[in-house]
Amino acid sequence: MMYKLKCCIFLGWIAILFLSCENKINPTLETANPVYVVDAWLNNKPGPQVIVLTKSQSYFDNTLPPGVSGALVQVSDDKGKVYTFQENSAIQGNYVWTPATNEVFGTVGYKYQLNIQIAGEILTSTSRMGRVPPIDSIVYDTDKRTGSNDLITRGQFWAKDPIGSGDAYWIRTYKNGVLLSKPVEINIAYDAGFSAGGVTDGVTFITPIRRGINSSDKDANDKQLNPIVSNDSLNVQIHSITVEAFNHLNQVKVQTNRPGGFSELFSRPLANVLTNIQNVNTQGTNVQGFFNVAAVSMSGKRFKK
Amino acid sequence: MPRLIFVAIFLLVTCPVFAQEKFTINGIIKDASNGETLIGATVFILETKNGATSNEYGFYSITIASATYTMRVSYIGFHKISKIVVLDKNIQQNVDLIPESEQLQEVVVQAELDQANVQNTEMSTNKLEMKTILKVPTLFGEADVVRSLLLLPGVSTVGEGASGFNVRGGSVGQNLILLDEAPVYNSSHLFGFFSVFNPDAVKDVKLYKGAIPSRYGGRLASILDVRMKDGNSKKFETTGGIGSIFSRLAVEGPIIKDKMSFIVAARRSYIDVLARPFVPLLQNGGSLNFYDLTLKTNYNINRKNRLYLSAYFGRDNFKFDKTQGFNWGNATTSLRWNHLFNERLFSNLTLIYSKYDYALQFGKDESNQFSWNSSISNFIIKPQFTYFINSKNELNFGGEATYYTFEPANAVGVTNGKAVDISIDRKYNLETALYIGNNQKLNDVLSIDYGLRFSYFQYLGPGTAYFYNDTIPGIRRTVTGAKKYKSGETIATYNNFEPRFSFKIQTSETSAVKGSYNRMVQYLHLISNTTASNPLDVWNPSSNNIKPQIADQYTLGYFRDLGKARQYEVSAEVYLRNTQNQIDYINGADLLINRYLEGDLLSGQGRAYGVETYFQKKTGRLTGWVSYTLGKSELKVNGINNDQWYNTRYNQTHNLKVAAFYDINSRWSVAGNFVYLSGTPTTFPTSRVIEQGILIPYNANDSRNNVQLPSYHRLDVSFTLLGKKMKNGKERKNSDYWVFSIYNLYARRNPFSIYFSQNDQRVPQGQPIQSQATQLSIIGTIVPSISYNFKF
Repeated sequence: MMYKLKCCIFLGWIAILFLSCENKINPTLETANPVYVVDAWLNNKPGPQVIVLTKSQSYFDNTLPPGVSGALVQVSDDKGKVYTFQENSAIQGNYVWTPATNEVFGTVGYKYQLNIQIAGEILTSTSRMGRVPPIDSIVYDTDKRTGSNDLITRGQFWAKDPIGSGDAYWIRTYKNGVLLSKPVEINIAYDAGFSAGGVTDGVTFITPIRRGINSSDKDANDKQLNPIVSNDSLNVQIHSITVEAFNHLNQVKVQTNRPGGFSELFSRPLANVLTNIQNVNTQGTNVQGFFNVAAVSMSGKRFKK
Repeated sequence: MPRLIFVAIFLLVTCPVFAQEKFTINGIIKDASNGETLIGATVFILETKNGATSNEYGFYSITIASATYTMRVSYIGFHKISKIVVLDKNIQQNVDLIPESEQLQEVVVQAELDQANVQNTEMSTNKLEMKTILKVPTLFGEADVVRSLLLLPGVSTVGEGASGFNVRGGSVGQNLILLDEAPVYNSSHLFGFFSVFNPDAVKDVKLYKGAIPSRYGGRLASILDVRMKDGNSKKFETTGGIGSIFSRLAVEGPIIKDKMSFIVAARRSYIDVLARPFVPLLQNGGSLNFYDLTLKTNYNINRKNRLYLSAYFGRDNFKFDKTQGFNWGNATTSLRWNHLFNERLFSNLTLIYSKYDYALQFGKDESNQFSWNSSISNFIIKPQFTYFINSKNELNFGGEATYYTFEPANAVGVTNGKAVDISIDRKYNLETALYIGNNQKLNDVLSIDYGLRFSYFQYLGPGTAYFYNDTIPGIRRTVTGAKKYKSGETIATYNNFEPRFSFKIQTSETSAVKGSYNRMVQYLHLISNTTASNPLDVWNPSSNNIKPQIADQYTLGYFRDLGKARQYEVSAEVYLRNTQNQIDYINGADLLINRYLEGDLLSGQGRAYGVETYFQKKTGRLTGWVSYTLGKSELKVNGINNDQWYNTRYNQTHNLKVAAFYDINSRWSVAGNFVYLSGTPTTFPTSRVIEQGILIPYNANDSRNNVQLPSYHRLDVSFTLLGKKMKNGKERKNSDYWVFSIYNLYARRNPFSIYFSQNDQRVPQGQPIQSQATQLSIIGTIVPSISYNFKF
């Protein structure tokens, strides 16, 4: 959220005043059995769709998550169509649906059911493809950075939430072809604002969401880099998500975006994020992850000085 | 039968002839040097061994049989006065006590009268003398009321940078903080590093942790009663200090000598001014400061009537540039009228206004900005009476009515000139209470204090009540309906009887056993889901969805004075507090600007128990105390921690504090304090989950607060140098002193929190994400400071 972000900026320098310090540590953690992780964020962009099935790792296991092979993965819609995802033999745990020519995945308004059969267990979930507004434009502006005299160029997209409350979106941005996927870069909207309680239906997305398409990178001296320099391009995609998915991502953001320092005074305690995937056998292996089927609108623009 | 009636009538008629007539002696006890009334001074009749203590306005009253008595009046730090009183009619006897020394020599805690600790029914109560507060070594050498309270048994905080304080395993929002009777909703400046009370204007600080009298109510864990100075009624006086963070100045003096006086005290921080050359933010209109202003005046109309007007105004400001920033502050005003109906019936009527608010504003210009503010404000009327029935009974009764206005969020976003108002409706509430309580001395061994408070809470229109579905606990509840109420309509009501009882058994001249039971009810809830309480926490009233919190506390303690001059005091107390309707939050609760907030709240039960031990040396060159608390504070909420009991965030198993003060010579003194606290609980993950290229920490056991942070310990010292008393052979008119303090002497990096995150580097496709754990210390180094304080 905008105010959070701003708080972090100024709290950062209070930290200097108060001589706070941070140490990287390696505490001993409770052990736990691995759980299934279903990464099933599907959309109607042209091209194949991938569902990734892995297992959780112990927290400090800094390797790629182990893929789970041998699963039967299917998605069906409420009109009887079944999409079968075939295991990719090259990447363990990746299950791919490849479209026929001119075919895309899903239709706005349809409901979808995910079914995964693995080692005698059945994991299921449901979702619905919501509507998505078009992006009117992407603009760049150059301004002074808050709290300094440095000039900063940032992108901004313009779009308007359609009338009727309860739409939710994940705005995903590719900068020069690379998906911005840091926790701090998660940009989600409920209608045109931050939350269901915030009455922002049917209006232009609010400023922090419009501006939430910029990358967050620091240089070797921990100084924030200019998000946009000449010739950079941004490709902005609005993905429609369910309210459940919005809540899920909101929690992911809270749990993963930890800038540290004084912002910790405002941070929330660790808690598990909500999943919408169930194991049919409630006594079976636990599941994490999420299933969502999104409609996508997109637009791109290059910044030229 | 007729004979019996005759005897009865005879007895009735003749009894008054045999009985001695009783008269009342009453008055006000004051400091002779400045006319300040003294709270808790002792009046003792040597012949009858009757005693009384002066109340919050310095008033005492004793009713005894007609005779000639020796009355002794004492107060710690003052010369005792004995007076011969011929009590053949009602007498008014004001007493002016002379300070033993105006230097910062004595260090006193909870020793208001020679044997107070063992002779009073009060327990679970700590009184901190301003003299002590001024001596406690603190961060940046600034004397602070709340930071000093943290050295007392049963009082703790989750760490540096946390607003407020925790009492006996209660949350920050369960303390009622009163400044001249006005509630203060956030007691902190600068994220808890300093409290809102300006030590130059504070006269008396008393903390009730248990056995809470029936005249107080509205919070579960404690009452912090802070009383401001009335202002010197004898002469003009200026006190102040220059420190490394802020400066203070207070002016007080008579408006009409001995009749009317005032005090004005102000503080302002200047860290932003000092840091400006180094921080570009500050050169661009940014700021970081806080200030407060404390005012009080009183008018002694006549022997029976006195008026007091007190006000406080304080604010913290953080600005990132000219138009964007964040600020918060309290404002309180209280008008009090002391009236003496007769020799034995004392009354006080208080009118109060209090407000806490915060505001944030972001955006570069008027056509693109976001502004948000939130507040709680109230009006209170509080009539209170004390009837000094006789030397064995003191009856307190009265009432209280509070009208609250809550502004949960007044928020407007402007996009390209088009404003979107996302404000949440105000909420209106009325809380009323009636109370009665009697302190009764049954005999030389047993004294009891019993009372009852009846509280009534109304959630009033205009407003909208929301109704939520029932779901699996721990999941957000969705709105199933809403009903609008008009002004004057009642949305929800609650009422509660709150019994209070305590007793004292005098086991010997120098020892006593005391016990108590009290029920407290809290209708306001501080909604806070962050690691530590912070200024953005919102107060929320009870409603059709949120029930009032209820606590039942039981305490039992043993108190003993030791030493020939009773210079040592030891005590041990056990406490148990069971609480109902405790609030917790679903995972991912959205607490700010959310009209459906109540759908994110969970309700459960709590329990806190422990033992507090305390040893104090009250007089001599070396004074101080050792306090050790062994405690536990837990919650059980369906939907959290697999529905099992879990430790609260502010649970502390061990809590050891040592405070020592030593006078080296007539000018130099040294003070030190050491604290050792068990680490507070926190939740660690077991596993990591990768989803869409994001590393999410995961606790596969779904446990809450499953680990303890490393323990917290710290040593602080300070040296005080009193200015010379004489100059060129003459006594100086001014007095001054320097304080050299070192906070966190051995530079321990005490953990505030440990957080888990992915490495900030952008990860190329196909590469693993690195997970990390970071321990944050808010103050990770030694902090020396100097301050200069003066009085003239």
